[in-house]
Amino acid sequence: MSEVRLQVVNLCKSFGITKAVQNVSFNINKGEVHALIGENGSGKSTLTNMLTGIYTIDSGKFILDGKEIHPANQVEANNEGVSIIVQEQGTLSGLTVADNIFLGHEDMFVKAGVKNTVAMHKKAAQLLEEYGFGRIKPYAMIDDYNFEDRKLVEIVKATYFDPKIVVIDETTTALSQEGREELYKHMERIKKQGNTVIFISHDLPEILDKSDTITVLRDGVYIDTVKSADVTEDDLKKLMVGREVSGAYYRTDYDEKISDEVVLEAKNLTVPGLIEDVSFKLHKGEILGFGGLSESGMHEVGKAVFGASFDRTGEVKLADGTQINDIPTAINHSIAYTSKNRDSESVVMNQGIGDNICLPSLKELANKLGFLSGKKMHDFSDKFAKEMSVKMVNVDQFVSDLSGGNKQKVVLARWIGKDSDILVLDSPTRGIDIKVKQDIYQLMDKMRKSGKSIVMISEELMELIGMCDRIIIMKDGKINGELARSRDMDENTLIGKMV
Amino acid sequence: METKTMTADQKIFSGQVKGYGMLIFLVFLSWLIFKLITPGNFGSGENMLTCFQASLLATVGAIGFYFVMVMGMFDFSIGANIMLSAIVGCIFATRIMGGMAEGSSGQLFGGYAGLILGALITGALVGLINGLLYVTLRIPSMIVTTGLALIYESVANFFAGGSSQVLPSNLRALGRMPGNIILAAIAFFVAYFILNYTKIGTYTYAIGSNEFVAKNMGINVRKYKVLAFVLSGAFLGLMAVLTISYSSSMLAETGMSSMSRNFVPTMGCFFGMAFKKYGMPLQAIVFGELIINIIFFGFIALGAPTAIQDVITGLALLIIITVTTKIEKGEIVK
Repeated sequence: MSEVRLQVVNLCKSFGITKAVQNVSFNINKGEVHALIGENGSGKSTLTNMLTGIYTIDSGKFILDGKEIHPANQVEANNEGVSIIVQEQGTLSGLTVADNIFLGHEDMFVKAGVKNTVAMHKKAAQLLEEYGFGRIKPYAMIDDYNFEDRKLVEIVKATYFDPKIVVIDETTTALSQEGREELYKHMERIKKQGNTVIFISHDLPEILDKSDTITVLRDGVYIDTVKSADVTEDDLKKLMVGREVSGAYYRTDYDEKISDEVVLEAKNLTVPGLIEDVSFKLHKGEILGFGGLSESGMHEVGKAVFGASFDRTGEVKLADGTQINDIPTAINHSIAYTSKNRDSESVVMNQGIGDNICLPSLKELANKLGFLSGKKMHDFSDKFAKEMSVKMVNVDQFVSDLSGGNKQKVVLARWIGKDSDILVLDSPTRGIDIKVKQDIYQLMDKMRKSGKSIVMISEELMELIGMCDRIIIMKDGKINGELARSRDMDENTLIGKMV
Repeated sequence: METKTMTADQKIFSGQVKGYGMLIFLVFLSWLIFKLITPGNFGSGENMLTCFQASLLATVGAIGFYFVMVMGMFDFSIGANIMLSAIVGCIFATRIMGGMAEGSSGQLFGGYAGLILGALITGALVGLINGLLYVTLRIPSMIVTTGLALIYESVANFFAGGSSQVLPSNLRALGRMPGNIILAAIAFFVAYFILNYTKIGTYTYAIGSNEFVAKNMGINVRKYKVLAFVLSGAFLGLMAVLTISYSSSMLAETGMSSMSRNFVPTMGCFFGMAFKKYGMPLQAIVFGELIINIIFFGFIALGAPTAIQDVITGLALLIIITVTTKIEKGEIVK
């Protein structure tokens, strides 16, 4: 029998009246990758945030190797042998790579108050070299590196001191395949050293492939702990949702003809350094997919269509001849856009759910004199938040309190409320659980059937194959092929054009 | 898409070359403009050396203020701090000298010690009060320091007895070469050392970048914010020493008149913030203050009316900061 590393005992955490974690107890063993799964808002991140000192514990305890721990912040958690790699950016701008790696632990290089920068850079260089990230220089500013490289720095930061437990919180969704492989490699290494990885992801095949044990949470309550080898994807879905996930996941139709009516045409779109000469037509009632590697330029296409790109040339034209060159024109002509970077580009974090939903519809909500009614705004946002099943106390709740999936529901509710005819959805299911994903796919299908047109940009090939009428593959900023919806299409067909 | 990628080393080098290039060009340009307009009265070597010495005053204050500004805070009590520190330093120096035997070797030493320590400690204390009230009251630093500036002005006026404090003539060596250059150089290297070779520097940037993450990294954010104000105050105390040594006296005015003293160090600090991304904030402050003083000296040489001087100086500085601040496309500026 494996030796227990961490005991989670009767753990509770509430935010106001929302019970995020309720009396959760389970064990995590040494030398395993222990996955933590559950729908958005099930309490996974809240639990690990308590373990790493980001949140305080209301009641209950963590017992690590037989000793109760109470970290007050991440450095104290590190000192107890626990570290975390977060989903969003976890490095600090304005500091060097080495400063970021050793932030909070500088004392090992400080003598008589003086920081030995040379020794710190030397140690960081040695670590980066050992991890195979030698191209990242310890003395360079972290700002000189892209998101992916900064994540690699975080891997070093979180693991160089051989912690007993490393929490990897939905990190893989932010990484390209290459970055994921690097992360998997280090997860394996940690496991081989006899240490433990707590792995949070919504990608069930990835969970089954990379973890040894899986604990399922639902609505903040512990459901079960199972061995990965003993369960299937459907078993996990059932445990997460609490019932069979019935009905079609993706679209089931294959032979529907796309309308001839063009609602939007992009001609020779170019954004220096990002995309070049991209042209396509979007038809009424069509879901047009854009796929490719993370840096292929596909994410910029969404911004370019919405008028949000800088230095864009070429044209985006609607059926009535209207040119879309800026965001207000796009919104006024019924175009919606959801960004891949949800927290920084799509939601206003420190505002209520209601305000977020009403934001683009204020003109329609105002009376003839331009005044807004609080009741009208409340009713409007409540209607669409409920339509999207946002898990909330009420629409006055701050968006910052919501889980990733619920934030995405708020973004979609905003544009459904606006009744947009053209939706540009960049990574609409990023970091979202299986049930919400299904809801979003069904919503897209419903919209398509009602004549709305969708541009879907995604790094998840299966959802592109499952949902799109056509898929445009981007490579090095250019279109590298177009594929029509087909039963025979598989991931390899797309990958062949992506790389 | 194929793009030219630079190595980290190349990025650092090219950034610094670009930064120094821009600053040297701006110094030359500001000199050239006034030299062409008024060749007889402006721009000689001697004239520029005086200009450089004048710029050292605000440089010392600005490099201290940088610690506060880079953390995202502000200080409207800079001028009041300089006024109060200079007056306390002057009173200390005079009293200590008065208590010693006339002409004795210790008298001069005591005078300088009183001047420097009096101003330095007063500046640091003002910073400490600013910082403590800011973290305790949890209201914006701008509001806290504006309120406190009024109090510092009044305290300075009370200490000075309503009259101008004159620094004894034999204690003014720090107002001229080489004393002023030595003191400014010491201040520069201390600030550079703290920023680059102590935890304070790392935490200053970490808090400025993301206070929430910094807190999660175990950094005592409140403590380091107070420390930033204390450091800023101490450097402003040194600026006060240079100021009273240069101008020989200090009048403690009230009614927010100290605000006019905020402008030059603050503008220099903006240069530092603008050139932070080139990895040379303190060097940029030195150049920035020189540019500001060249513009001031140029106007004096021209004999332009004060109102016109203010309008053109304000516009020129806005243009310089706009041109030199490399804002990324889409970057939010607040």
